[in-house]
Amino acid sequence: MNGLLLAQGEQPGALPPLELPHVEYSAMAPHLILISGALVLLVWAAMTRRRPPWAWAAFTVVVGVASLVASWLMWLELGRNGPRTAVADAVVVDGYSVFFMVLVSAIVVLAALMGHAYLEREDDRGPEFYVLMLLSSSGAMFMASANDLVITFLGLEILSIALYVLAGFNNRRMESKEAAIKYFVLGAFSSAVFLYGVALVYGATGSTNLGEIAGYLQSTVSPANGILLAGVALLLVGFGFKVAAVPFHTWTPDVYQGAPSPVTGFMAAGAKAAGFAGLLRVFFSTFDTLKLDWQPIVWVLAVATLLVGSVLAIVQEDIKRVLAYSSISHAGFVLIGLQAANDKGLAGSLYYLLTYAFMVLGSFTVVTLVGRKGDARHDLNAYRGLSSRRPALALAFTVLLLAQAGIPFTTGFLAKFYVISAAVEGRSYSLALIAMLSSVVAAFFYLRVTVLMYMSSDEEEAEEARTEPLPIPRSLAAVLIFSVAFTVVFGLLPAPVIDFARDATLLL
Amino acid sequence: MADLAYLIPALPLAGFLALVVLGRRAGDPGAGWLATTAIGLAFLATLATFFELLGQDSHHREVTKPLFTWIAAGGFEVKAALLVDQLSITMALFVTGVGTLIHLYSVGYMKGDEHFPRFFVYLNLFAFSMLVLVLSDSFLFTFLGWEGVGACSYLLISFWFERDTAATAGKKAFVVNRVGDFGFMIAMFLLFSTVGTLTYNEVFEGLEGVSHAAIVAIALLLFVGACGKSAQLPLFVWLPDAMEGPSPVSALIHAATMVTAGVYLMARVSPLLAEAGGALTVIAVVGAVTALVAAVIACAQNDIKRVLAYSTISQLGYMFLAVGSGAYIAAVFHMVTHAFFKALLFLGAGSVMHGMNDELDMKRMGALRRWMPITGATFIVGWLAIAGVPPFSGFWSKDDVLLAAYDKSPVLWAVGLFTALLTAYYMGRQVFLVFFGDERWRREEQEGVHGNEPSRGRPEERSEAEPPAEGSHSEPHESPRLMTVPMIVLAALAALGGLLNLPFGKLKFLEHWLEPVFEEAEHKLAPGVEDLRLVLALVAIAAGAGGIALAYAIFMRAKRLNAFEPAVLQRGSGGFDDLYSFLVERPGRVIANFTAFVFDARIVDGLVNGAASVVRMGGSQLRKVQTGYVRNYALGVTFGAALLLGYALLRMGV
Amino acid sequence: MEGFSILTAIVLVPVIGAAAVALIPRSREDVIKAVGLTAAVFVGVAAISLAFAFDSHSAEYQFVSEASWIEEFGVSWLLGVDGISLFLVVLTGILFPIALVGTDPHRDVKGYTAWMLLLEAGCLGSFLALDLLLFFLFFELTLLPMYFIIGGWGYEKRVYASLKFFLFTLFGSAFMLVGMVALVFLSAKGSDPLTFDIRVLAERGALAEDTARWVFLAFTMAFAVKVPLFPVHTWLPDAHTQAPTAGSVILAGVLLKLGTYGLVRFGLTLFPKAAVDLAPVLLTLAVIGIIYGAVCATMQTDLKRLVAYSSVAHLGFIVLGTFALTTQGLSGGVLQMVNHGLSTGALFLLVGMIYERRHTREISELHGLQRSMPVMAVVFTVVMFSSIGLPGLNGFVGEFLILIGSFVTRRWWAVVATAGVILAALYLLWAYQRVFHGTPEGENATLPDMTLRERAVMAPLLVLIVFLGVYPQPVLDRINPTVEKLMEHVEEKGRYEQPAVAVNGVEGVREEREKKEVEEKEAKEQETERRLSEFKKAEDEAREKARSGGG
Repeated sequence: MNGLLLAQGEQPGALPPLELPHVEYSAMAPHLILISGALVLLVWAAMTRRRPPWAWAAFTVVVGVASLVASWLMWLELGRNGPRTAVADAVVVDGYSVFFMVLVSAIVVLAALMGHAYLEREDDRGPEFYVLMLLSSSGAMFMASANDLVITFLGLEILSIALYVLAGFNNRRMESKEAAIKYFVLGAFSSAVFLYGVALVYGATGSTNLGEIAGYLQSTVSPANGILLAGVALLLVGFGFKVAAVPFHTWTPDVYQGAPSPVTGFMAAGAKAAGFAGLLRVFFSTFDTLKLDWQPIVWVLAVATLLVGSVLAIVQEDIKRVLAYSSISHAGFVLIGLQAANDKGLAGSLYYLLTYAFMVLGSFTVVTLVGRKGDARHDLNAYRGLSSRRPALALAFTVLLLAQAGIPFTTGFLAKFYVISAAVEGRSYSLALIAMLSSVVAAFFYLRVTVLMYMSSDEEEAEEARTEPLPIPRSLAAVLIFSVAFTVVFGLLPAPVIDFARDATLLL
Repeated sequence: MADLAYLIPALPLAGFLALVVLGRRAGDPGAGWLATTAIGLAFLATLATFFELLGQDSHHREVTKPLFTWIAAGGFEVKAALLVDQLSITMALFVTGVGTLIHLYSVGYMKGDEHFPRFFVYLNLFAFSMLVLVLSDSFLFTFLGWEGVGACSYLLISFWFERDTAATAGKKAFVVNRVGDFGFMIAMFLLFSTVGTLTYNEVFEGLEGVSHAAIVAIALLLFVGACGKSAQLPLFVWLPDAMEGPSPVSALIHAATMVTAGVYLMARVSPLLAEAGGALTVIAVVGAVTALVAAVIACAQNDIKRVLAYSTISQLGYMFLAVGSGAYIAAVFHMVTHAFFKALLFLGAGSVMHGMNDELDMKRMGALRRWMPITGATFIVGWLAIAGVPPFSGFWSKDDVLLAAYDKSPVLWAVGLFTALLTAYYMGRQVFLVFFGDERWRREEQEGVHGNEPSRGRPEERSEAEPPAEGSHSEPHESPRLMTVPMIVLAALAALGGLLNLPFGKLKFLEHWLEPVFEEAEHKLAPGVEDLRLVLALVAIAAGAGGIALAYAIFMRAKRLNAFEPAVLQRGSGGFDDLYSFLVERPGRVIANFTAFVFDARIVDGLVNGAASVVRMGGSQLRKVQTGYVRNYALGVTFGAALLLGYALLRMGV
Repeated sequence: MEGFSILTAIVLVPVIGAAAVALIPRSREDVIKAVGLTAAVFVGVAAISLAFAFDSHSAEYQFVSEASWIEEFGVSWLLGVDGISLFLVVLTGILFPIALVGTDPHRDVKGYTAWMLLLEAGCLGSFLALDLLLFFLFFELTLLPMYFIIGGWGYEKRVYASLKFFLFTLFGSAFMLVGMVALVFLSAKGSDPLTFDIRVLAERGALAEDTARWVFLAFTMAFAVKVPLFPVHTWLPDAHTQAPTAGSVILAGVLLKLGTYGLVRFGLTLFPKAAVDLAPVLLTLAVIGIIYGAVCATMQTDLKRLVAYSSVAHLGFIVLGTFALTTQGLSGGVLQMVNHGLSTGALFLLVGMIYERRHTREISELHGLQRSMPVMAVVFTVVMFSSIGLPGLNGFVGEFLILIGSFVTRRWWAVVATAGVILAALYLLWAYQRVFHGTPEGENATLPDMTLRERAVMAPLLVLIVFLGVYPQPVLDRINPTVEKLMEHVEEKGRYEQPAVAVNGVEGVREEREKKEVEEKEAKEQETERRLSEFKKAEDEAREKARSGGG
């Protein structure tokens, strides 16, 4: 694994005879923890016959926590010594990358818990889910900490390939397989485009190392030229696909709908974060000097993403598709931060990704629950009168949905507020306004669900109540409680998270 | 000094509050007595204040008694304060005086009504508001009373709320009055913005420096308000319908006191009117025309109370004619005498209804003087007074008015004179039809025109006396003493009221008394006109006699039942209702319906819902792109990529 | 930084109450009601004592409580009360307990009580917040409970109505959020830090004129929807008709005031110049609203809808007073916010009581109720008269101040508005006649009169209605200083001057006149000067000519 990474890292400056760079494993501790965790899990699963049903999940959680701790230690260490690059400038350890390490580790823990309950219900005993998720998370981390387009691509692939399998991993559901195929074909396609972009950038600047590219762009008088911009554009396509920005979003609804609910949650939280991790770093740190060239196009992407996401969501009848489109419109909000291209924009985007990750994980926890055995009941009507059967569950879901709608005193509002103020500071008022108006449209479909849960007339509720009861496994309860608590508590006392996001950008 | 003045409004207020607290417990007649005591004491307080003022020399008879700051903001401040002077005390005297008598009468008249206590609650509240109106020292505080009496009249007109006609009449009265109040309010705004205050005296001091146009505007706007309250053209239409209320109400509110508020307001602002020049002529003309029109309509009425209602309007017209001619004292004089005889007449009418099972149609009466002698006698006194027969009070006051009118313009005088003739005629007609002639109420089936008015008594009594006033099983009967005594007193006043202001030097008590109030405003008769007084008086007497003679000829000699009664005049408000509903109500309804149910519901709200459905439609259109085919998706991605590349190259101008 | 104060308590107690209610098991309805009422009453008492403790000579914010909240953006927990917000807080404190006692949710007492308390917190927070973002948060927070109350406890078309209400308001506040952030970032020039503290922002006033105008419009957008101003009012009739009684009471009594309050507190304070320049637009909309609301009300067949449209008219008056830009108008406007809250709140309660008995809001279904429920008739009459604006009752005082205040600056607007007063009498009296007058048949004949509880609920409202009509001065004394200060602020920052009469009454008129005379005299002198000089010139020229002719 490292060998491969090293060889790739070598190519650009390969003038002297082959010479192994020093590999600071500490710089990639969380990545390595996840990967080795995955390997251990495989071996262990291969060797043991009988094991308690919760073993895999427990182990994964432990791994996740471990990487979380590691990331946190790196954060503290960073506070002391400041950022650094490692492995021959291939990866960088800075607030930004560590921020994502923390986020991804947290997502791993929650996703593992979700997965556990899901697998129990679908009585699937294999460890594959955990292994794949761990691998793909490590890919996400690489995307965040890559200091070289090639590493970024590498991370992208590790992330995606694992995801392809995860998407199709419920082999009892046709949609699941279909989703996997679609995701794989399109993913491969977009990866190719991305790679081509890398090639063009290399052609134009003579390097794939982000630092060197930036240096080159600063040194040259008028850096922009057709090749370079084309390259940048293609990179944007590649990232756009991962983060589901319009018009590269088309796969999202189908895949989100098809993939097993916990996986969808992981995609919406982790994969999106990873995609943005790469996108934001490349555009903020490296192509910063080309701002004026890419800002307009990002503006267009953002507007399209916001509108398409929210407008299409209101005509959906399937909760997972609704959430898919809502995740698209949220991507639009993050793009606002990028378009603003200022410190607040970057910090805002990070804050948005962090808070959104937990909201969406929580939401998909509910979806997993209500989906029932077979993970099939995702029609909106499945939520009719939920409040009378499972008040707590309904309330939690309401909080998470309305937080996504941007209701005051939740992290959801602050996230929107953050990027909006970034946009305003960047003088793009029109974008800010469009965003807010689109969020009005978006509010409609979040409310639509609450209407079903709370305001459906009594006989419907009675009818629903007759259907079998809805047990809530402990693991899911834990995820739900955590995500709701996070959303509300840090909505009331926002300082810590906001500072975390800001410091992450300062230590860049 | 004049500290008793506080008591004048306070006592009725106390009575009102007491009655509210007691509610039904006050009972019948307890509530009535309580209310009567309250207003009676108020009368005594007024008398006391009056004599206290008499004690002062004629130019120190004005005091302001402050209460508290009512509304203040920035440069605007209005105090609740009483202005005690000759004018307000005169007014207060006959308000409380006549009021007391009518309260007394009501105790008898309303006996056995299930809402007895409620009636006296309203009555005392009315007395309070009326006294505030009279005694206030600022436009705004007057307006408080002004609206208060309006509200009370609304409540009392629709007192028998079960009857739709009564309910409608009450609403009509209030709304029409609001139209007048619109003028009053704008006048106040204009006053504040030009003078900076709403206190009477400060306003009059601040008038110099205010443009003439503004003053005229203010005067006319105030007059609009007066037209509403005092039922002048074109706003008089509410008063005839107001007869739906119980007779004492008609007597107190719609004859003696409230409807004279407009005249009082004009007298109050005489210094302002003095500056207003042209406005006076408008007032005089409107007054004269109203007097004439109302008198004409009165000739065609069969409803005993409506005749009196129109005659009230007509008499009020006289008062405005006087005001317009600058003869404020004459106006006040006529106001007082009118209060006496018109109250008397209404109480008489009430007594008749009381004795006739609430029959109202004069065509179904007759010869009642035999059955109810006191009512008959007093009513006849009232008739002679209003007909301007000397030496009854009406003659003297009307004479002053006509004199002033002649001085203003002979034309106005002529109109007034003709009105006097008509007055004598229709009142004669009424008296002859009701108290003389045959006992038409005995006949089983009636010949001649049927009353176009439904019976209008207490609903529950009516039900027990169905069919109303048919057959001899219910003989007319004289009313109880409680009712006759006040009538007798009023009759005396109506007869002798002239003594207040006999046109002979020293005997002009009222004139001397009121002089200081009006000194700069009162119009001095042109030299020589005073000498014409005797001639004019004789002409007036002739006119009155002529009217009576005509009535006698038609209704006593010829025993005819109807003359000069074109159907149009018998329609609501002599046809004015139809006119207004054609000009205002119908178009109003159409517009309002359109606004509420087409414009608001379809267009304004339609746009809102439209926007929503547009978004939804857009969604379902876009949805079509989501085919589910990988190739299309790939195409989408490619398309996007191409777009970005295109932009990149374009940007480079490649 | 003064930490905790009574105001913080006033805002937080309902929240705590709501939390407590949420923890009580659904079945213990009596306990839930008790807890909810206790919290509401506590707030009420606190608010009233606030009014007494309030220093009526100071125009400053009082009882300020401040604590930093989000330093990154200079947002802080900043509460304070002045003459403008004081009585709105009191009103809120009074109306909520009344609404809780006076109405009965027929299902799910728990949720209902919790939402009501949360709503109260939202309202109080909005009135007390001196920090823009904090205000916005509370302003938005009020949506949610009201949405659930309408949607959960409302009538037939409740879902449509609640969604419409929510989205309509959200649409408005979308503009406000952007404008707000723009204001904050733009006014943080150079080194001065970001702050959402309106006291600081008002002083900075750093925006360019046209920018300020745009931002003002953005704010106004949000408030116009809330007020509501024509033509963005159509959510109101639906929301009112579908909301349960308590919902309507609070919606009309308190929530609508958020709009008018916002216009005064933020519109005038933060953008004086823009407010002065754009006043005609808002005045016109306000006057249209007055007439339009009244006309629509006249024709309604649904009693609640009628009252709803009357609110449109009344709120129009308040906006008229606000943008008349005179002390009287503004004071009247502020006072009228309270008055409308009382009388319309009372009206909705009464309509609700009728509905409880007859289960219809259709005017045509009701007839002759005065016979079956005389007490109700009396109460209704008083409230109706207060709503019509009868002198001696609260409605008149505010309305009159507004009209006289707007007349001195905007004559014709005021005249048209006054015509609206006539219409008010028309539609209310007509409705009263159709509902209460006449002889009742069938169900109407046998309706029970007001219960003791209902009388107890109405009593405080009636007392206030009469008291504020007869002796409003204690209230005005507390409102005026703040209003005068605000007007000075507008005059100074908005390069505007209100007529002298509005400031000094008779004195003002005299000064005005003297000033004019002086000016005229000067003009005359200058004229003579000019004449003289011309004459001289002519002479000189003539002399010149003569000389040249001579030479």
